[in-house]
Amino acid sequence: MTTSQTSTTAKPWDAPDAVPFMQIKNITKKFGSVVAVENVSLDVYKGEIFCLLGGSGCGKSTLLRMLSGFEVPTSGQIIIDGEDQAGVAPYDRQTNMMFQSYALFPHMTVEKNIAYGLKRDGLPKKEIATRVTDILSLVQMDGFATRKPHQLSGGQRQRVALARSLVKKPKLLMLDEPLGALDKKLREETQFELIKIQESLGVTFVVVTHDQEEAMTLSSRIGVMNKGEIVQVGTPHEIYEFPRNRFVADFIGSVNLFEGRIKEDGENHVVIASPEAGTDIYVPYAVSGVEGQQIAIAVRPEKMEISKADLGDMRNRTTGTVDEIAYMGNVSVYHVLLDSGKRVRVSQSNRTRSNEDAPTYGDRVNLGWAGRAGVVVTA
Amino acid sequence: MSQRETLNGKLPGGAFLGRALHRIGLRGRGLVIAIPVLWLFLFFLLPFLVVAKISLSEAAIARPPYLPLWNWDDGFLNITLNFGNYLFLFDDPLYLSAYIESVKIAAVSTVITLLVGYPMAYLIARSAPDTRNILLMLVILPFWTSFLLRVYAWIGFLKGNGIINNILMKIGLINEPLVMLQTDFAVYIGIVYTYLPFMILPLFANLVKLDQSYLEASADLGARPITTFFTVTLPLSASGIIAGCMLVFIPAVGEFVIPALLGGPDTLMIGRVLWNEFFSNRDWPIASAVAIVMLVVLVIPIMLLRKAQAAEAEVQ
Repeated sequence: MTTSQTSTTAKPWDAPDAVPFMQIKNITKKFGSVVAVENVSLDVYKGEIFCLLGGSGCGKSTLLRMLSGFEVPTSGQIIIDGEDQAGVAPYDRQTNMMFQSYALFPHMTVEKNIAYGLKRDGLPKKEIATRVTDILSLVQMDGFATRKPHQLSGGQRQRVALARSLVKKPKLLMLDEPLGALDKKLREETQFELIKIQESLGVTFVVVTHDQEEAMTLSSRIGVMNKGEIVQVGTPHEIYEFPRNRFVADFIGSVNLFEGRIKEDGENHVVIASPEAGTDIYVPYAVSGVEGQQIAIAVRPEKMEISKADLGDMRNRTTGTVDEIAYMGNVSVYHVLLDSGKRVRVSQSNRTRSNEDAPTYGDRVNLGWAGRAGVVVTA
Repeated sequence: MSQRETLNGKLPGGAFLGRALHRIGLRGRGLVIAIPVLWLFLFFLLPFLVVAKISLSEAAIARPPYLPLWNWDDGFLNITLNFGNYLFLFDDPLYLSAYIESVKIAAVSTVITLLVGYPMAYLIARSAPDTRNILLMLVILPFWTSFLLRVYAWIGFLKGNGIINNILMKIGLINEPLVMLQTDFAVYIGIVYTYLPFMILPLFANLVKLDQSYLEASADLGARPITTFFTVTLPLSASGIIAGCMLVFIPAVGEFVIPALLGGPDTLMIGRVLWNEFFSNRDWPIASAVAIVMLVVLVIPIMLLRKAQAAEAEVQ
């Protein structure tokens, strides 16, 4: 396999001639006068794990329900594998869904639950039996075939629900908060298993989640939603490092936003006057804007330095007082009160077991960050 | 002993009562349970034992019209148990056919009530909350008028020159009135009409709780609505169906008023036999035996109900 091939298969959304597997075109959904989803367009490619990420009520679940046919779009078009889904009933769609509540039929055994969809397709009994056995071993649930859902733990139910939605080999699998009901440790284990299963079957996943960590680890690309609209689509790296606007910057991870105005608009740099930061901020690349324009700089806490000593080599510097320290084991998060009254979060990884020079409560500290550490957000 | 302390604090003279109850082993939880137990003992078990006792005695022209079960004679306690009444029930085909007829009429009525009630309960459960309350109200509303009055009203509908016959003749569908009153048909109508709410309410209570995501999951897996109904909705509402059927079947077996008012001379139900034995023949022992056997017949479906409820409790 050559490098160029790998890159096209790994990033089909960057290839100019790639045909999207699923296209959402200008979808709008209104409930009465409430607009749940507004003019959303989205392309998802074969083999992707695409995450729709957003807070509650952002319209991500409504979008998913339109994909599976439980809601009819007010306007717009959904095309899956070249077929327009308008007027296609849920039971005629070649997509499957894993429900947030799992929705396992309580009166049926694990086996019967999984066989349910295959039976509806009228497959011969023998084939149903082998496919059920195969999928059960794929999700590591062999030996549980004759249990009823209420005899299973939350994690086991999640596996059965996954098996039931995968056994029909859907073109597209939709997962509504697939890990939401699991506790943290189990969730982390399951995330990677989910990716492994997806890779082994080659099914395209569309995942809805409100958990940004889940979205970051699972997905090939993320679509961040806010108030019924998709605000940014990109790889987890793009979303985290290059947020397009204040909402995305703030929603994904934690961030320090310094508001300011463009003071100097150079050929390959800008200087932003930010009274909030207590300093002029230097950005070593051009920004489309005019002098005096309101703008913000987003700096992630882990990209800032904190020290009681002078940080002379840093391009951007300011000072403040340590107000709070959250020790989290691997990192310590400092809440620093700048002289402007702005609160800044700075995280430092604890590489040594104890650091005599580490700032403590009430210390005057110097903060600094490199020119490229911050991202300019205009919207 | 916090429950006892609150009891002592709240009731005037509670301290004494509390101590007294405590001495006989009653406090808190036990006290709460004791009241219904006492009620059932006084108004169910005791009368049942009296009836059972009478069923084992011999009829006599006396007051009360049966011989005592035991007497004290010269230092001998004579206990006379007369099983003849029970043997007589199996001897005379009248009783057996009355039982069979009662169970048959009750069973058929229950099935009809289920077939009529299920769609209604389903519709009510699936309608918008505002409409739902109005529809439920309409189901319960008939209870506000006397049961007897409503059965009489059916006579007005069904009789020879009643409303139904008049309408059918007016529009020329029939030339002479149909005989509907005093037939089994009228009895079925009466029972289905009267007991319909007892079917709808438990079914509604069950169907309204049905998680919509099960139906969506079924559709998602390729089941058409009709398949979803038979593979998901119907099995998941089984406990509601059983409860509704029991609430209709059990009282329908012993129904007396409806067959007496709407039924014909050949509608032979056990309730009427019981009435005749008791009031016309004044044969209390036979009447009691009829009642006891009926109870035994009904214990079977009640046990089935208990079993179904226990199975469902396990799932939840």
